[in-house]
Amino acid sequence: MNSLSVYDELDQAIGAMIANPKASSASLESGFADVLRIASDLLQLPRPDFKARLKTELEWVASARPLSSTVPLQATADANILPSLFGRDYGTYPIRRVNFATSVGLHAAAMLVTLMGVMAFKDKPKEVQPSDYVKILSDYVPPPGLHQMHGGGSGGDADKQKASTGTLLRTASEQFTPPTVIPRNEHSRLEVEPTIIAPDLKAATTDQVGDPLSKLMTPSNGIGVGGGIGSVSGGGIGDGRGPGYGPGSGGDFGGEIYRPGNGVIAPKVIYDPEPEYSPEARAAKYQGTVKLWAIIGADGRPRNLSVERSLGMGLDEKALEAVRTWRFHPATKDGQPVAVQIEVEVSFHLY
Amino acid sequence: MSSVANVADERLLIEAAQQDPSRFAELYEKNFHRVYAFIARRVHDRAEAEDLTAEVFHQALSNLGRFEWRGVPFAAWLLRIAANMLADRWQRASKILEVPAESLENADAGVDQEVERRAMLFQLVERLPDDQRLVIVRRFVEQKSVREIAQELGRTEGAVKQLQFRALQSLRTKALGKSDETLPREQTADAGAKVKH
Repeated sequence: MNSLSVYDELDQAIGAMIANPKASSASLESGFADVLRIASDLLQLPRPDFKARLKTELEWVASARPLSSTVPLQATADANILPSLFGRDYGTYPIRRVNFATSVGLHAAAMLVTLMGVMAFKDKPKEVQPSDYVKILSDYVPPPGLHQMHGGGSGGDADKQKASTGTLLRTASEQFTPPTVIPRNEHSRLEVEPTIIAPDLKAATTDQVGDPLSKLMTPSNGIGVGGGIGSVSGGGIGDGRGPGYGPGSGGDFGGEIYRPGNGVIAPKVIYDPEPEYSPEARAAKYQGTVKLWAIIGADGRPRNLSVERSLGMGLDEKALEAVRTWRFHPATKDGQPVAVQIEVEVSFHLY
Repeated sequence: MSSVANVADERLLIEAAQQDPSRFAELYEKNFHRVYAFIARRVHDRAEAEDLTAEVFHQALSNLGRFEWRGVPFAAWLLRIAANMLADRWQRASKILEVPAESLENADAGVDQEVERRAMLFQLVERLPDDQRLVIVRRFVEQKSVREIAQELGRTEGAVKQLQFRALQSLRTKALGKSDETLPREQTADAGAKVKH
């Protein structure tokens, strides 16, 4: 056998092995046994592109997987109860335990804050703080009008004594007969009930009419003139001028309406429910501010409301409706509550 | 000392891959031939061995986060996955076909010498010179005849046989550590020379 036949003989043995892999190679020359064993193993050699193809495939899969900062090493039985907590995922995406813990913490904090807020409001007495809805823009400048009724009244028939004490009498919007303590004409042909011009006082009345502020018991119509009970004139009761009661003039209750400032401390709102939106304004998404004039009485209640700057679409009415329900700490002068007129701004905003 | 260093390196490599899955490629490169050899030794079918190998590495990648280092080589974990996979496959097949009981026992994940030898052999093929590697792949993987290979490469059949001989001789030497003296004496003529049959 020359050396060339070695290649042939080996190739023939390999060919036979490929044809029948299970055939024994015992008959082969001992020098080929190891080589044929290797050749036999090479029959299982993977295809040359398989390794590279699988690597590419794995790299593609790996690139789609997120980076993990904390890797759970062992899943426990508890993971089946709360898979997120134990770092497992429900399916496609893995879940980090730290995210789950952070979420639980934030939710717990939010619930705690809410609970504390509820408890704080529950325990706190209901005192409504002033809100931005009320803005005192300027000192009061009374609006011009035909019937300014902000004064009081007085009267008298030039008695030597001041008006005597007593209760007020029926109030009315018009006065036909002024009140008197001592009637001067006891035989009038047409008796008309004496009244003063003022809102309904709802005060107890007695048979003895007079000035409630007087301390004199001796009946007297007062030193004033023009009928009525008092020291000035006008047919009313008190120290004013006009058919009303009290200081001032022109009827209604007496007493000045002050302006904030110059010793008059402005009223503070303590209860100011928000105005409702009118349906048409809400539909039109209409927003703006209504300005009102309001007198805040010594009792803290607003009255004599009037619209200074209208907004329309039913919002003026809503503003008036809301402000009527407001309550104030009244303005004070020298520590005493007094009535003031202020400008109130009611804003309508859609959020 | 180098063994300790290798263990430490492997642990670092695993932790890196657990943090960043793209680092899994390094573990794949280190263990591909071992896993493939383990499976190929048991299934005796290249296509099936390749399918199972791919399945093992995909499963390993998806469960890499659950791997806990306990001093056991990463290859043992991969072979355990492969063994379980083989056992499952055979158990399913046994419901249809008669599968010998010893086949199931052979699926044990022990890293035996035979697997290591084959894995090293497959690695050595990758390091052969290009012409020798090409002949080995055409002959043993694609199972072409020498004539077909010669025609494809534009060389003589004798040259192809000579390349085949040299490749196997080289693999034998490196894999078994045996010298060429135990083989029949090779012709000294150049592999590209004309060879008469």
